[in-house]
Amino acid sequence: MKNIYEVQQNNKIRSFVVVAFFLAFSFLAVYILASASGVYFGYEPGGLGFVGIALIISGVSTFVSYYFSDKIVLGISGARPANSKEDKLFTSVADNLCIGAGLPKPKLYVIEDSAPNAFATGRDPKHAVVCATTGLLSKLNRTELEGVIAHELTHVKNYDIRLMSLVSVMVGLVALLADWFLRMGMRTRGNSDESKGANTIIVLLGVIFAILSPIIAQLIQLAISRRREFMADAGGIGITRQPQGLITALTKISADHEPLEAANKATAHLYIVSPFKGDHRFVSKMANLFNTHPPMPERIAALQKML
Amino acid sequence: MIYLYIALGVLVIWVISTYNFFASSKARIKASIQEIGNQLKRQADLIPNLENSVKGYLKHESGILEMLADARKLAARGQDASAKISEVLPKLTIAVEDNPELKGNTVVTNLMDELRDTSDKVMYARRLLIDLTADFNVKRVSFPFSIVAGIFGFAEMKGFETPESGEFTKVSESETKSPKVSL
Repeated sequence: MKNIYEVQQNNKIRSFVVVAFFLAFSFLAVYILASASGVYFGYEPGGLGFVGIALIISGVSTFVSYYFSDKIVLGISGARPANSKEDKLFTSVADNLCIGAGLPKPKLYVIEDSAPNAFATGRDPKHAVVCATTGLLSKLNRTELEGVIAHELTHVKNYDIRLMSLVSVMVGLVALLADWFLRMGMRTRGNSDESKGANTIIVLLGVIFAILSPIIAQLIQLAISRRREFMADAGGIGITRQPQGLITALTKISADHEPLEAANKATAHLYIVSPFKGDHRFVSKMANLFNTHPPMPERIAALQKML
Repeated sequence: MIYLYIALGVLVIWVISTYNFFASSKARIKASIQEIGNQLKRQADLIPNLENSVKGYLKHESGILEMLADARKLAARGQDASAKISEVLPKLTIAVEDNPELKGNTVVTNLMDELRDTSDKVMYARRLLIDLTADFNVKRVSFPFSIVAGIFGFAEMKGFETPESGEFTKVSESETKSPKVSL
């Protein structure tokens, strides 16, 4: 038995630690890759130029997807706006929870798909979008639906979309730098004879980082994503105060083995449970590292502590 | 010297942001109290009207059922029920034309949904007040925010006023058992 405030506090701290670790790691990776390519190509300020270009490319592409996140995701998923006649349960539950959370009412959308799932997106609470599938709306009762929508609204309230965008800028930056370093290294292999001593070490470090850091950055990104899921679960309970509702909802959703056609890799982390149902077969710790969502038994266990 | 200025600057920014937290929280708490009033007003307007329209509908339906029962009784006694039937028939046709089946159950279900939705809205409006007040009060007594709260004299917010003691803080022997519903 843990009270909800302790859980939320604990989640906040752990999330902060993961994000801080991620930032430290990506800055280190960028620094090493930049100085290694600077040394490698003979002029040191050159490295900084690479970082600038990579930052612009990674930043612009992510900023576009962040700023238009609502429109892009809705376009991909083929969602239609919810209306209070057809989707009365959905709209009234979302309205009520917004009153409770003190959030402006998000735009509500429905995806015609029998796989039960839901996601939230949008760059800030004023431009938030909450989207549910028809499968979710028909399979859950009111209390369960409240649990799911409260989870999504917590993502909105915690600015998770903003955080994850920031994280993907950094992942993109590291990946680009590593890629360039390796590619250009291949082409200009002959030049490396000139580097000596300390320079050799930095180039060697650069090669190691170029190979490993994109993967590591992505793994930390996934760890952040999983941490934010726990946070959203706890925060949702903070609004509804009914852990049982979310527990049965998650059980129902994960028992459903239909894949969600509208989802793809780019939007997976937004959903309440991973839309790729194949994931459930791999239960090893290793496989978990590559998931956007924590394993369902762990999420349910965390919720049961709050009962 | 420069570090001293930086530290002082950070301190000033921190004091301002803490002050702003308390001041804006106070305004939000006020707004959330108004929201409760708003929801209560909606409830007071809505529920009597809903009640009347459902009552009207159920009366209409029970009239038809009563007449049918009367006709059946007459027929069972071997009497001529045709007068009763001809009385109920036109109404029944209307009822069947408009509604393929008698819809009392869905009308009542809708009413129950609407009632739950309404009381949920009031409940969530109170939840917001409780949460905002708790955030305010917790920060007010936590160090180092308590210093700023003390300097600017932010008093504890009352929030959702509930008596702190009384029957509801105790549970009696009979209340520990799960209630059984009997209809």
